Amino acid sequence: MLEYDIVIVGGGGAGLYAALWAAENTILKVAVMTKVYPTRSHTGAAEGGINAVLTHSIGDSPEAHAYDTVKGSDFLADQDAVDIMCKMGAAVIYDIAHRGVPFSRRPDGRIAQRPFGGASFPRTCYAADKTGFYILQTLYEQCLKNNVTFLNEWFLLSIIHNGERVEGLTAWDIRNGGVHLIKTKAVILATGGHARIYWNRTSNALGNTGDGTAAALRAGLPLKDMEFIQFHPTGLAKTGILVTEGARGEGGYLRNRDGERFMKRYAPEKMELAPRDIVARAIQTEIDEGRGCGPRGDYICLDLTHLGEERINERLPQTREHAILYEGVDPVREPIPIAPTAHYSMGGIDTDKLGRTGIKGLYAAGECACVSVHGANRLGGNSLLDVLVYGRLTALEAVKYADEAPETNPSVAKQKDDERRILELMESEGKEKLPELRRELGETMMKHFGVFREESSMKKGLEKLMEIRERAKHVKVHDTGKRFNTDLISVLEFLNLVDLAPAVAVPAIERRESRGSHARRDYPNRDDKNFLKHSVVELKNGEYKLSWKPVKITKFPPEERKY
Amino acid sequence: METATLKVFRFDPDKDKVPYYQDYEVPVEGTLLNALLYIKDNLDPTLSFRAFCRSEVCGSCAMKVNGKTKLACKTPMKELVETWKGKPLRIDPLDHLKVIRDLVVDIDKPIEKMKTLIPWLVPDPRVVPTDPMHESIIYPEELEAYKDQIHCMLCFSCYSACEAVEDYERYRGPFAFSRAYRFQVDRRDIETAKEKRIRYAISGGLWSCVQCQKCLYVCPKGVKPAEDIQNLRGQAVRKGFTDKPGAKKLKHYVDWIYATGQINRLYLPEEVYGNREAREKLTKAYEEMGVEVWEVPKPTKGLMKFRDIYLEILSKEEKALDLDFSHVRKIDKMVSDIFKADICTIVDRVHEEGKGGKLIEKLKGLFGGDNG
Ligand SMILES: Cc1cc2nc3c(=O)[nH]c(=O)nc-3n(C[C@H](O)[C@H](O)[C@H](O)COP(=O)(O)OP(=O)(O)OC[C@H]3O[C@@H](n4cnc5c(N)ncnc54)[C@H](O)[C@@H]3O)c2cc1C
Ligand code: SF4
Ligand code: SF4
Ligand code: FES
Repeated sequence: MLEYDIVIVGGGGAGLYAALWAAENTILKVAVMTKVYPTRSHTGAAEGGINAVLTHSIGDSPEAHAYDTVKGSDFLADQDAVDIMCKMGAAVIYDIAHRGVPFSRRPDGRIAQRPFGGASFPRTCYAADKTGFYILQTLYEQCLKNNVTFLNEWFLLSIIHNGERVEGLTAWDIRNGGVHLIKTKAVILATGGHARIYWNRTSNALGNTGDGTAAALRAGLPLKDMEFIQFHPTGLAKTGILVTEGARGEGGYLRNRDGERFMKRYAPEKMELAPRDIVARAIQTEIDEGRGCGPRGDYICLDLTHLGEERINERLPQTREHAILYEGVDPVREPIPIAPTAHYSMGGIDTDKLGRTGIKGLYAAGECACVSVHGANRLGGNSLLDVLVYGRLTALEAVKYADEAPETNPSVAKQKDDERRILELMESEGKEKLPELRRELGETMMKHFGVFREESSMKKGLEKLMEIRERAKHVKVHDTGKRFNTDLISVLEFLNLVDLAPAVAVPAIERRESRGSHARRDYPNRDDKNFLKHSVVELKNGEYKLSWKPVKITKFPPEERKY
Repeated sequence: METATLKVFRFDPDKDKVPYYQDYEVPVEGTLLNALLYIKDNLDPTLSFRAFCRSEVCGSCAMKVNGKTKLACKTPMKELVETWKGKPLRIDPLDHLKVIRDLVVDIDKPIEKMKTLIPWLVPDPRVVPTDPMHESIIYPEELEAYKDQIHCMLCFSCYSACEAVEDYERYRGPFAFSRAYRFQVDRRDIETAKEKRIRYAISGGLWSCVQCQKCLYVCPKGVKPAEDIQNLRGQAVRKGFTDKPGAKKLKHYVDWIYATGQINRLYLPEEVYGNREAREKLTKAYEEMGVEVWEVPKPTKGLMKFRDIYLEILSKEEKALDLDFSHVRKIDKMVSDIFKADICTIVDRVHEEGKGGKLIEKLKGLFGGDNG
C-alpha cells in the first residue's frame, strides 16, 4: 500500500499549481497522480489567455472583473467566490510570471492584455497563442525543481471515505497493471472536464472524460450545475478542434453564406466579441435557419483574411497551422469553416468558495470542480484563472488539514471491488462494442442536449442515455494484458462518461428556463423567480436524485444580460 | 475508399519473446493518428500507443514511419502515401527508449537526464521581485532570445534521432540542452545557476554532440537543439570552462586564426589533448608525404585588417575576452623572433615588397612553399 499525506489527482494547471504550493509550504508527503504525463494535460491546449486585473490595468478593477464574471455567468455564479477569484488575479499572474511564464509584453515591459469576449476591459493576459502550454510547461519545470513526487500514468478508480473524512484512493497503474490502494489524509481532485460526453464534437482531448467527477459521483458526492456545458462557437468544422477566441479578439469576422456579418443582428455592440454562448447560439441559429455555408450548409465562416499574413503569423500562428492541417484551408487566403463544439464543463464536483467538498480532506479544483465561479456560462480566459486560484487555495487548505488530521485506515474492500470489476470487464461476453456505443452517446448528447434544448427531445434523450448506460455493462475489454492496456483505459473512461451523461440530462430537463449556456427553445427566457438556484445531482442506489441549492448573491443583483 | 497498409511494431514483453510486425489496412484519410484510432476502433483494440490532444500540442504521439520520426497527429496520411508511393508504412516506436509495449516507450530516463541540467528558472532577486504583487519588467525584445526553445513539448523525437544519444549513454539529449539553454539567455535567471548549468551540461556530454543537425530537422515545433548546443559551448568557453577537448579545440581555432589567419594543424593535438609526441610524429608524417608544414603558420596577407574585423565582431558580441591575448602574444613573439621584427612590420613589408620580395623569399627559405 502506498502512503502519502496529500494526493493530488491530476497534473494539469490546477494539479501542478496545487502541487507546487503544497510542496513549497509543507514537509508533508505530497504526490501527484496523473493518467498522462503532466505536460500532456489539456491545460496545454488553452490558447487564448488568462484574465486578471493587473496593477497597470488603468480604469479596470477586480470589482469590474467580478461584475463581468457574474454577468457572464447569467447571475448563477456565487458572488463571494467570484470575489475571491478576481481579487487574486494579479497575485497568481505575477507569481507564475516570476516562475518563468513568458507572457507577451507591452513595449514598456509590462504584461500585455487583450480584449476577450464578455469583458468590459482588455484584461486577458496572454503568451502568444499558447498561453496554457507555456503555463503548463513552466509549472512542470517548477515542480521538477521542487522534487514533487509524480505517479505518472496512474488512473484513479475510486475515492474512499467514511462519510465524514477521506481515507484514500484506489488506482490502476497503467504501465505495469494492477489495482493499488493508496492511503492518504487529503485528496485534491483536479481531473479536468467532461466535455467528451459529446464524443464526436468537442474541442477537448481524447481523455477529458471527467474521471474524477464520475468517481466523486459514485462515492456519493453531489455534482452541481451539470446541465451547463459551454459550446465554443468556433470549432473546426470537420473535427471540433478549437479555433481560439483570440482569432476574434484580433479582429476576425463571422460571416454566413451571404457574406453577412450576422452578429450585428444578435449583439450589435459587441459583435464578434460577445460572450461565447451568445455567439454559439447565433451561429447555430444561422445554420438551423439555412444560412450556413458549404454544400450542406452546416458551418459558418470565420474570416481572418483582412488581418494580413504578418499579423496572423505573429498573433495566431497555431490557428493558421491547425486550419491548414485539419481543415485544409489557409486562413491568410480563405475563411475558416467553423461550427460550435462542446468545450467546457461549468458543472462539476460541488465545492464551497475555498474548494472544499462535504467530505473532510477532499477538495476539488479546476474544471472538474463547480465552486461556482462560472455559473451558467464561463467567460473566455476565466478558466485558467480559476484553475490557478483554486489549485493554490485547495493546496493551502489541504496542507492545513493534513497537518493536523489523524492517520487514516482505508479498507481493502474497495481495492478488491475494483479488481473484480476489471476482471469482469475482461471476461464479459462482449455483446456491445465500445466504439459504436461511444458514438451513440456523443450523438445523443449533441442531438438532445446540444446548443439548443427542448423538453420532449431531452426526455427522449435521457431514455436513450439510460439505455446506453445499461448496454455499457456489456462492453468487453478485449485486451487482457496488464501492461499499458489502453483498451481497458478506454472502457473505464467510457464508463465514466455514461455515468456523467445522465447527471447532465436530469437537471437540464428540470431547469425550465434559458440561462447562460442552457438555451431552451420551449423556455426562451431566464426565470429568476423559479430558477435562480444551483442544481445538485446525487447518485443514490443507482438513481439520479436532483435537488436545488441557493446562489450566493452579494453585490450584484440579477439584471438582464445584454451585450 | 483509398487504403494503405500500416506495418505496426508489436511487442508485449509479458507475452512475446520477440517483437513482430502486424499489418493493418487503414483508410487514407486525415492524419496518421486517425489511422491508428481507426485500427483501435475497428480492427484491433489491443494495439497500444499514446495520444491525447490530437492537435499537436501535447507531445504524446511521436513515432517512426519507415524510419523517419513523425508526430502522428501532425502527419497527413495522404502525404505519407505520396512520399512512399503506396508502399507499406512501417510504424515503429521511438529509438533509444525502452519499449513498454507496442509503440509506447519509457520516457522517464530522458526526463531524469534533463533534470540534471536545471531546466527551470532560478530567479535573480535583483531582477525578479520577491514581492508577489510587484511585476518584473521584461521588454518584448527580450522574449526573442528564447522564443524557439519554449516550444519544446517533450515529444522526444529529437532524442530518438540523435547520434550522440546513440553513442554516449550519459548524453542528456538535444531537447534537454535546449530547455536548459532557454534559461541561460533569460535575464531573470541568476548568474550562479547559469554557471552550474554549464558545468552540468559539460558533464552531460555538451562536447559529445556531433552536430549532425538531425534534432533540428525532426523537431515538430521548430526548436533548434543543435544551435543551442553550439551556443552553450560558446558560453562554456567564455565562462572559462576550457578544460574539455571540445572547448580547447574551439580556443585553438580562435587563437591561431587571430594570430596568423590560419589554424595550426601541427599544434592541434598538442593543444587539445596535450599530446606533444603527436606533433613530432605528424611533422614527420607530413614531410614523408611531401605535405608542407610550418611550425608557425605564415601570417596571411592583410592579417592586420583581418584582426581589426575580428576584434570588431568580438567586441560587438561582447566576446573580446574570449581571446587569450597572452597566448596570441606568444605566437606573435615566435614570429618576430624568427624575422627579427614585430609582426605588423613583417606583414606590411610582405605587402610592400610584393611577390618575389626578400621577405617572401626568406619565408620560403624558412618554411618552404608559397602559402600567399
Ligand atoms: C482547446 C481549449 C482551449 C482553451 N482555451 C482557454 C483559454 O484560452 N483560457 C482559459 O481560461 N481557458 C481555456 N480553456 C479551458 C481550460 O484550458 C481548462 O478548463 C483548464 O485547462 C482545465 O485545467 P485542469 O487543470 O482543471 O484540467 P486538465 O488540464 O484537463 O488536467 C486534468 C488532469 O487530470 C488527470 N486525470 C484525469 N483523469 C484522471 C484519472 N482517472 N486518473 C488520474 N489522473 C487523471 C489528467 O492526466 C490531467 O493531468 C480551453 C480549453 C480547451 C479545450
Ligand atoms: S546535432 Fe547533436 S544533439 Fe542534435 S541530433 Fe546531432 S548529435 Fe544529437
Ligand atoms: S526539442 Fe522538439 S523534438 Fe525535441 S522533445 Fe522538444 S519538441 Fe520534441
Ligand atoms: S496527440 Fe498530442 S501531440 Fe499528437
